Amino acid sequence: MAQGQKGKLNYRCPRCLMREVDMDMLYDREADEYYCLRCSFTGDEQEVLRLNAQFREKYRDRMRRITEF
Amino acid sequence: MSNFYITIIHRPEMVPEYIQREAEQGQKEDLARNSVLQESLDIFRTQQQIAHDNNLRTTIQMTYASLFNQEAISVAKEHHEKYGDEIGSTFLGLQCQEFRDRFKSRELAIWLFSMDDKRRIVDEVFRKFQEVFGFYPTSTGSYYMDAELINYIKEKYPMIKVAIATCWEEGPKAYWNANNSWYTLMDGGPWNPWIPSRCNIHCPASDENDDIGIVAIPHLSRDLLAVFDGPGSYYGTHPQNILRGMVYEDREIPYFKNIVDQYRSMAKYNHGYAYNMMFVGPGWMSKNGRWEADYDFLIKSYQDGMAYYGRLKQEDKAIDVTMSQFADIYRQDRPYTRPECTLWKDILYGSKRQQFWYADPWMRFCLDMNQGGAMIDLRPYAAKLVRPCGVGTKYVQDASYPFLVQSLYRAGYFTHYAGEGAVKSCKIGYKGEEIDLCVCRTIASFSENGDTRIVTLDPVTIEFSQFSLQVQSIIRITEGTGEVEIIRRIVDTDDPTADITIDEYITACYGTTEYPEDLTGTQLTLRGAGRSESIDYAYQCREATVENIRLAEALVPQANTRLSMRTNIKDAAGYFREGFAFSPMYTIGIRKTVTGKGELRTWLKIEKAS
Repeated sequence: MAQGQKGKLNYRCPRCLMREVDMDMLYDREADEYYCLRCSFTGDEQEVLRLNAQFREKYRDRMRRITEF
Repeated sequence: MSNFYITIIHRPEMVPEYIQREAEQGQKEDLARNSVLQESLDIFRTQQQIAHDNNLRTTIQMTYASLFNQEAISVAKEHHEKYGDEIGSTFLGLQCQEFRDRFKSRELAIWLFSMDDKRRIVDEVFRKFQEVFGFYPTSTGSYYMDAELINYIKEKYPMIKVAIATCWEEGPKAYWNANNSWYTLMDGGPWNPWIPSRCNIHCPASDENDDIGIVAIPHLSRDLLAVFDGPGSYYGTHPQNILRGMVYEDREIPYFKNIVDQYRSMAKYNHGYAYNMMFVGPGWMSKNGRWEADYDFLIKSYQDGMAYYGRLKQEDKAIDVTMSQFADIYRQDRPYTRPECTLWKDILYGSKRQQFWYADPWMRFCLDMNQGGAMIDLRPYAAKLVRPCGVGTKYVQDASYPFLVQSLYRAGYFTHYAGEGAVKSCKIGYKGEEIDLCVCRTIASFSENGDTRIVTLDPVTIEFSQFSLQVQSIIRITEGTGEVEIIRRIVDTDDPTADITIDEYITACYGTTEYPEDLTGTQLTLRGAGRSESIDYAYQCREATVENIRLAEALVPQANTRLSMRTNIKDAAGYFREGFAFSPMYTIGIRKTVTGKGELRTWLKIEKAS
């Protein structure tokens, strides 16, 4: 199998991110997938982006400008 | 008129960790790699330009490595002359070839060196600074500056008046967040500037004798709710931290402005004063991108943040000051006993949750309105614990200030079937039914009456099987007393003949991390009008009750703290409850029975034990 290398934008593992662990992933060019050394996640870029979008959903006010305090 | 002060700090960090790591991929370490040095300097220049474009002055904290770089030195001198930026010194960014040659160490954290090394490094950093600039700095900092380090600095370099001294709540959560690799274990300090104690940097000084001689500012202004239960490096006035937390959509980050505005609102809790700081190292704006964000987005987030500060300044809603200017201003109107307080509201998760944060020389605590005003964090500052950190000390990396209550590290209200978690709350009882106010969400308002800060919670409804009643909680803290007065008042009831028990309690422990500490030696005592009871904690599940209670007390030698509760009535009972190894907490409480309506008023006091 190919040597893992840093991928585009240093994607963190989205599964580890769900538990608030920042874990940079490695990228396997042959398989065109990212993989995590900690939790065994594997996935292509689309899967990473999909899960990252899911991660953001917990921030329901992420796009709300709040001015009254 | 309120004053909102902002300090913007930049550092020419010649070998930023993230950029260096990128450059090292597949290569050996090279601290003098030109591409890294140049990229770092470019980013530093860019940061400075963004600030100046928005008419904001900065504090340039020169790293040791940058003192050997003519370009960095020239920029600092030029911007000091042209824009009035302050040239200070930082103990971040120590690592460079000169440091490695002189100190033979790869350590990067000043607070983790041995005390001998700390002295040597301070002397060398300030010597070099003076050689380069012809004067000594008046501001310094790091992620953490222990009291022993600052005491030494003040002894040798008394001109130092301000330091970045902690990262708020960067403890076990930050360690976990970094895959257990980031050793900033420093929970327990204030979230806004303070004058530290000579004994422990986390504690606000009690008086002039206890004053360490500097004003401390925290590294970043953080979201007080999100960071209590999440990584500090996701939620604060650091745009790239927010990118790391992914709190954005379509490259827009309204959350940054929301944090700034909530900090601005702190003026109403603190006599018209509010504060904010931004401190982004160049490593966060790597040209390779970081945290799933490309370089353009990294830069845009910084520009947007700085533009907001600039706009506030333009509208006379913010005052930009350097660190040393801020220290002078802060000291002009800061009696030692004045607390810092904030009724923080959720600006992230879409709830209406509020938490009230309070810090003074006696204690720091947090009340959670989602749990009926329960106290979910309590740090005994009055103990002024001397806890040196670094190599050669007992605690080495653990620079946190101990807690007596930390509900997230010790379960809080919800536990499984066995035992109980650390929290201070109240139970309302009727004929075998018992409801903890922790299950009653509410909201609070803040007011002041002379020297007393008052948090008034909206009444909550307690539903027993046969009837309902309404309970209101009021928390009052009178400046300079070291006591928290807690009033639990039944303001309405469906059954005015019912005998209701009001049971105010605190379940506490001692610790700095998620893991339990040995409580052997803690002494639980009840002092009543007629008799007293006392035990030494030994995990034996013992309990006692004393009628006509005067004082219920826990003496915690591990934290050199005396934690006590008293009441102003004669017919209340006091009790204690010892824990066991699977649930190693202790509880002290005071309860009283009222018919129909009535109230229980208790005072929680924190004192130094010895």
